[in-house]
Amino acid sequence: MKKIIILMLLCFVSLEAVYTEKVKVPSITFAIEDDPNIRVMQRNCQWCHSYGYILNQGRQSKEFWHKIVLKMRDVYHAPINARDEKIATEYLYKYYGNGREKEGY
Amino acid sequence: MQRREFFKISFAASAALFGSKSSAFATSKPIDTQKVSPVLFPEKKPLIVHSDRPPLLEAPRTTFTRAITPNDEFFVRWHMPIIPTPINMDTYYIHIHGEVEKRLYLRVADLKKDFKPVEVTAVMQCGGNSRSAFHPSTSGIQWGSGAMACATFKGVRLKDVLAKAGLKNSAEWISLNGDDKAVMAKIESFKRELKIDEISDDTIIAYEMNGREIPFLNGYPVRLVIPGLYADSWVKQLSDIYVTKEYQPYFFMDVAYRIPDNECECEEPNNLAKKTKPLEEMNVKSYIGYPDNQMQIQSGTNLRVKGVAFDEGYGIKNVFISLDMGKTWQQATLGKELSKYAFREFSYNLKPMKKGTLTIMAKAVNNKGEEQPFAHDIPWNHGGYKYNGIDSVTVEVV
Repeated sequence: MKKIIILMLLCFVSLEAVYTEKVKVPSITFAIEDDPNIRVMQRNCQWCHSYGYILNQGRQSKEFWHKIVLKMRDVYHAPINARDEKIATEYLYKYYGNGREKEGY
Repeated sequence: MQRREFFKISFAASAALFGSKSSAFATSKPIDTQKVSPVLFPEKKPLIVHSDRPPLLEAPRTTFTRAITPNDEFFVRWHMPIIPTPINMDTYYIHIHGEVEKRLYLRVADLKKDFKPVEVTAVMQCGGNSRSAFHPSTSGIQWGSGAMACATFKGVRLKDVLAKAGLKNSAEWISLNGDDKAVMAKIESFKRELKIDEISDDTIIAYEMNGREIPFLNGYPVRLVIPGLYADSWVKQLSDIYVTKEYQPYFFMDVAYRIPDNECECEEPNNLAKKTKPLEEMNVKSYIGYPDNQMQIQSGTNLRVKGVAFDEGYGIKNVFISLDMGKTWQQATLGKELSKYAFREFSYNLKPMKKGTLTIMAKAVNNKGEEQPFAHDIPWNHGGYKYNGIDSVTVEVV
């Protein structure tokens, strides 16, 4: 009797489980501009997000990108040092900039 | 020229807010050129992919002909890169603690067994849906218009769960947290705060979406559903409900997802609003699902325009169609109202005779009398939130 109950319970449990193993999310390469400074992007950005996040912000001012770099450092704790902060901002502005130094119009 | 004149007259009020500076920046239509990706995500049809980590998936225009969005076309938006798979449902708990009489650890099976099931059909929309319409472009993912969906959610009332734990007199706020995690341990996770006396009967902890388990990418096994509010409050993989006396400041409530706290909820890029408020209720919006832009239509044949309209819960009163760039409007036929929070289908039959390009516009009006403005009359805000401009598609009549 006990055995049957345990078996029934096991059946119930297995019916409940929708995922029996870790769901894998595919990996896509979002290519950003190649440049000697791409290493700075590799070592600071990819901990948390794909380059899709860079490409999908649209073209932005230098001030905008600098603020984003600081937000990644201060809110999301990306390990960005002072040197990389400058290089990452320059890189982002060079390839994904809108030609303006300042935000706004 | 004539068209310009017309817009000026009908939206004199919103233009006045900016005075003469309104020409310095503008709103256009959100992008509608992005193609679905051939890379398949679990339980999803091909969708527009903005990022794989965290996954950000948007539905194409063709999704929006039906009031209910199928689970495999339902958009995806996570903030944190680590999304655990809950495999053992016997150890997946929603922990309810804080200012309660009794601390609870509820499993999904307990929700199903011990509470009254409730169904709600509601639109879920990302606050930044259609953000790509704003110029200068604002911070955040440059979504087209497909970061929205509508489903029938089944679950239990948040109120009932709180009642079971027994709220102490001191209980004022609850903060909700999901199981998704950041890479750096110090980062605050994506928490939301709700005021207890503002929780409606329609606010549920859902365990089903359109009659099936909630898909992994949409927050399996349970997510919060708050009809009428933007999706940033609909916590996915809900695992923690913390009842407090006082408001807890969180990044995603107090820094991000905020809009100007003024009449027009707008500001200028060079003069940001000093006072801001959290993004909450949605506004009236409609979207054409068929035909798609650049489609070829045979002249002299019947064309059935189809789409969806919704608002924050007053319900849709009318949808109007214009074939002359908004000079004149004709009433579309509305489908059944599934709920005041749901997508309302609309359709409009026409027979284009003249060859060449034809632009079809759709404008929704809700029961409160609010109507959608033209795309370029939407005022700017720094987060690119709440865009609800009149949609249009342009087809080729051949």
